Amino acid sequence: MAQFRLQGSKVLAVDLAGDTVKARNGSMVAYTGQMGFKKLSGGGDGLRGMVTRRLTGERMEVMEVKGQGTCFFADQATEINLVRLNGETLFVESDNLLCTEATLRTGTSFTGLNGMASGNGLFTTKVEGQGWAAVTSRGPAVILRVAQGLPLRVDPGAYVAHTGNLNRALKSGAGWTTLIGEGGGEAMQVEFTGEGLVYVQPSERLTFGGDA
Amino acid sequence: MSYPPQPNNPYGQQPPPYPPQAPPPGYSQQQYQQSYQATQVGMPAPQLPPPGGQFGAPLLQAPGGEGPQVWDPHSLPADDNVNPYCFSVDLNGAYYLQKGKMIAYYGEMRFSGIGRGVLDRVLEQNFNSPLHASDWVVAEGRGKLLLADRAYDLNSYDLEDGNLTVRSGNLLAFEPSLRLKQSIIPGFLTLIGTGKFVAASNGPVHFVEPPIRVDPQALVGWADCPAPCHHYDHSYLHGVLGGIRHLTGIGGASGEEHQYEFIGAGQVLMQSSEALMAERSVGVVGEQSGVPHQQPAQAVPGLGNLGNLGDLGRRFGL
Repeated sequence: MAQFRLQGSKVLAVDLAGDTVKARNGSMVAYTGQMGFKKLSGGGDGLRGMVTRRLTGERMEVMEVKGQGTCFFADQATEINLVRLNGETLFVESDNLLCTEATLRTGTSFTGLNGMASGNGLFTTKVEGQGWAAVTSRGPAVILRVAQGLPLRVDPGAYVAHTGNLNRALKSGAGWTTLIGEGGGEAMQVEFTGEGLVYVQPSERLTFGGDA
Repeated sequence: MSYPPQPNNPYGQQPPPYPPQAPPPGYSQQQYQQSYQATQVGMPAPQLPPPGGQFGAPLLQAPGGEGPQVWDPHSLPADDNVNPYCFSVDLNGAYYLQKGKMIAYYGEMRFSGIGRGVLDRVLEQNFNSPLHASDWVVAEGRGKLLLADRAYDLNSYDLEDGNLTVRSGNLLAFEPSLRLKQSIIPGFLTLIGTGKFVAASNGPVHFVEPPIRVDPQALVGWADCPAPCHHYDHSYLHGVLGGIRHLTGIGGASGEEHQYEFIGAGQVLMQSSEALMAERSVGVVGEQSGVPHQQPAQAVPGLGNLGNLGDLGRRFGL
């Protein structure tokens, strides 16, 4: 049973006792003990993953880490958020998934056209099962609860991940003024309704609709 | 007493009077430090998180203790930092913000460009920079609005009948009870009046008191001081040897020959790095005699050239 813990806020330490975790390729920064690192094809989902990830463009380079000791992971000094899954599903941008326990299954999920318009791609990565997952965010993620009657709108560039029974819908605030460059600057928003949690980073990655 | 004269607040919304505290002019340093420390240790856990596991969401219990805090519209702070990098505005009326700094919101809001619509006339009173400053938008409505900027540190500042000048790229949002004007220093904006505004800095902000000389790239803004002047340390470029050095570049320049010098009473705001935020256009000042105008953006002075010495080369007859 791999133990996930934070070493500071930007380094993930995983204690391994002969078991395995899946981590983003090249994210290991240090380790103690004996470790083996093996590149996995197709985002760790084998042949099916190779096909679907190639088709969907939701690329994920994943390695399998196995051994005895403690392995440290980090990615460009981004903040790390630990998420414990007990049978729920975590939807996360593949760029933000750092490390998952071997007991978790990863896959791709169709997000619909809203993903394309927001520049995040049509698909997102799905993590499900029982165990720990580590999600990176540029700046500590703010976790926002969505409940009935409390919809949340998020800038697509700041969206990191979400869990729970949430519906994503793209909302456009663009009007004719956007076309002449006098728009509100927030032309694209993703609306989450339902019940669940949304992880938002205090930073915006460059998105297609971000400057409109 | 109150200069400049205050127009009536068009929104009928007065910011809560902030208890003026000892240090910087009304800056909520205490709150800021609290929230800063809370997240420095990784996951913020200032309060007990709501019970996890509901709504089919995962339990957010870290193995070693409390999990991260989950926010909802009721627990989000009103006009305060959520963490050092994210600011929550309790919107009830209107707020000015820079384009693209909204990361999420609850409630009903509309974002519209400045200088159009029914608010046009009241805006003119507050937004005293050229109205075509297309980098600014107005958020109208009610709800909780989260602001962030590239994971830079955000601070809110309360002005009470005061003035503060800030680099245009660092200003994120401000209450409509403040009036925004262009500073006489190109690239800076001055806020006058009473109200709250949010500014970003790369690394925490430090307050220093004049007399002081600061690096141009580390300067975020200043309050109450008279406008700064330039200061050049070029003495080692004097004389024959210095002239040779200047001409040939042998020996190089330290890159710190140019500073801003502040004198008088007030506060100077500095950031902890020399990373600049992108300049935001604030419109162009009409060219008139006697009006300093904005020069085209210059590259950040790098090593290897003597560019940041400005026109000093003239002293050597170049």
